[in-house]
Amino acid sequence: MVRLEHISKQFGAIRAVDDVTLDIPGGAITILAGADGAGKSTLFKMLVGLAKKDAGAILLDGTDINGDYSRVTAVCGYMPERFSLYSDLSVEENMDFFAAVQQVPAPRRRELKERLLQRTGMAPFRRRRAGALSGGMKQKLALSSILLSSPRLIILDEPTTGVDPLSRIEFFAIIEDLKKEGRTIVMSTPYLDEAEKGDHIVFIRNGRVMRQDSLAGLRASFPARLFRILPAGNIFEVMRQVAADPDLAGRAHPRGRYIRCLQTGAGDPGERIPHLEMVEEQPTLEDMYIYYERQA
Amino acid sequence: MSHPAPAIAVRDLRKDFGVFQAVRGVSFDVARGEIVGFLGPNGAGKTTTIKMITGLLKITSGTVRVDGLDNRTQLVQVKRKLGYMSQKFSLYPLLTARENIEFFGGISGLSPRERARHQARMEELVPAAVLRQKVQDIPPGLRQKVAMFVCLMPDPGIVLLDEPTSGVDPEARRVFWNDIYGLKKLGKTLLVSTHNLDEAEYCDRILIIHNGELVAAGAPDELLRQRRKASIEELFKDAIEEHGQD
Repeated sequence: MVRLEHISKQFGAIRAVDDVTLDIPGGAITILAGADGAGKSTLFKMLVGLAKKDAGAILLDGTDINGDYSRVTAVCGYMPERFSLYSDLSVEENMDFFAAVQQVPAPRRRELKERLLQRTGMAPFRRRRAGALSGGMKQKLALSSILLSSPRLIILDEPTTGVDPLSRIEFFAIIEDLKKEGRTIVMSTPYLDEAEKGDHIVFIRNGRVMRQDSLAGLRASFPARLFRILPAGNIFEVMRQVAADPDLAGRAHPRGRYIRCLQTGAGDPGERIPHLEMVEEQPTLEDMYIYYERQA
Repeated sequence: MSHPAPAIAVRDLRKDFGVFQAVRGVSFDVARGEIVGFLGPNGAGKTTTIKMITGLLKITSGTVRVDGLDNRTQLVQVKRKLGYMSQKFSLYPLLTARENIEFFGGISGLSPRERARHQARMEELVPAAVLRQKVQDIPPGLRQKVAMFVCLMPDPGIVLLDEPTSGVDPEARRVFWNDIYGLKKLGKTLLVSTHNLDEAEYCDRILIIHNGELVAAGAPDELLRQRRKASIEELFKDAIEEHGQD
């Protein structure tokens, strides 16, 4: 649905976004994963026209918008990273306000507001001041507010950062419902376990795209294998042996009773290490992200 | 005694704030040398429980024993055994890392020579330029490293870490957990609260707390097996839903 081509943005000496080309497929969840300062927010701001790109093109439905950001804003809802609500207004007042700004007709507003309040579990809190809501509820309200205009492209900048795990799970369930309705979602997150739920995953580091693909695609092209070893003896003694092995040094870490270990060459690491059991596992997104980051 | 006392023994611990019951009868042990993860939504009672263990918060009822010592009657001895890294405040943001080390070393009763030794060790771990920066300007991953270092300076046997990985990027998080294993290797006991469910796998055992009550406790793989769940996220949801949302 959206394609960014060779987008760059410089702030003084810092290249915040450096020649980024990426696809946001329609009807899917695209996730931008990366550390703080990787350029995720700047990229979103350029997409909606809040920051001016230095170079590159934005294509919407296959054609270059040529600086006409109203084409993007007409179809998108954008939730910025920082709390975007009026703290002194109630949940319902915030929703009414955003609906009015977005010129949603009154009957449609009433119906949609009710539906969103029910779906997000916010109905019992409709009269609560936004400032008095928990972090997770604030994010649900911010999302509801941008959904009132029924956008087909939903842009969410770190909507779950700092939100507790239960609220994060609930929030993502709503995102998945929106996808089922056929909407296109693009969101950023620092949580790589959350990013695994995306259909298209983009690793961003220092303003550049390190990798982008589906989880399965990323796994298929990953140049290392991951093993989980249950050491027969003391885990630290076994870790010492792993650290002394030049093929494995720096690629193994203890996790609970196990050692997880990346192997880039042939053979199984367990052949060289005493173990009770050794299982090959699918690498997680975090394993892959850290691998590429260390390569960079 | 044939069995040494657990590093931490919490029994029927309760904390009321007025009519609000923040912690409602929590009991658990943390064995010596064990890494225990403390998981739960916001407001579940994680920080309140940790603060009661440290003696920073008055216990409404129940007991906490640290290495067999009662933290109400033997608090001074208990404090000597504990290292605590709080969720929000653990360093002075306007002081440099060096100044923090000097200050916290001083109040922990470390001699000038020991403090100098710690300064030198810190310089091996963190670039010198970072140590000269005010803590508020240091990136989160390195800031946590400094905070952890400060918490460990008095060489506590038991370390309580309240959400140490919040806002820390993936690479720094993995390095952090490697450091935690370094402490385990030294025989230290760790209780670590976290919002990152995937970190449960690093722990020997996890405790899931919700609305002030423990809703699950055990080794992560055993809990997954018992509850027939494929991931910690499913386990977490299941434990909380079973207990009731409110």
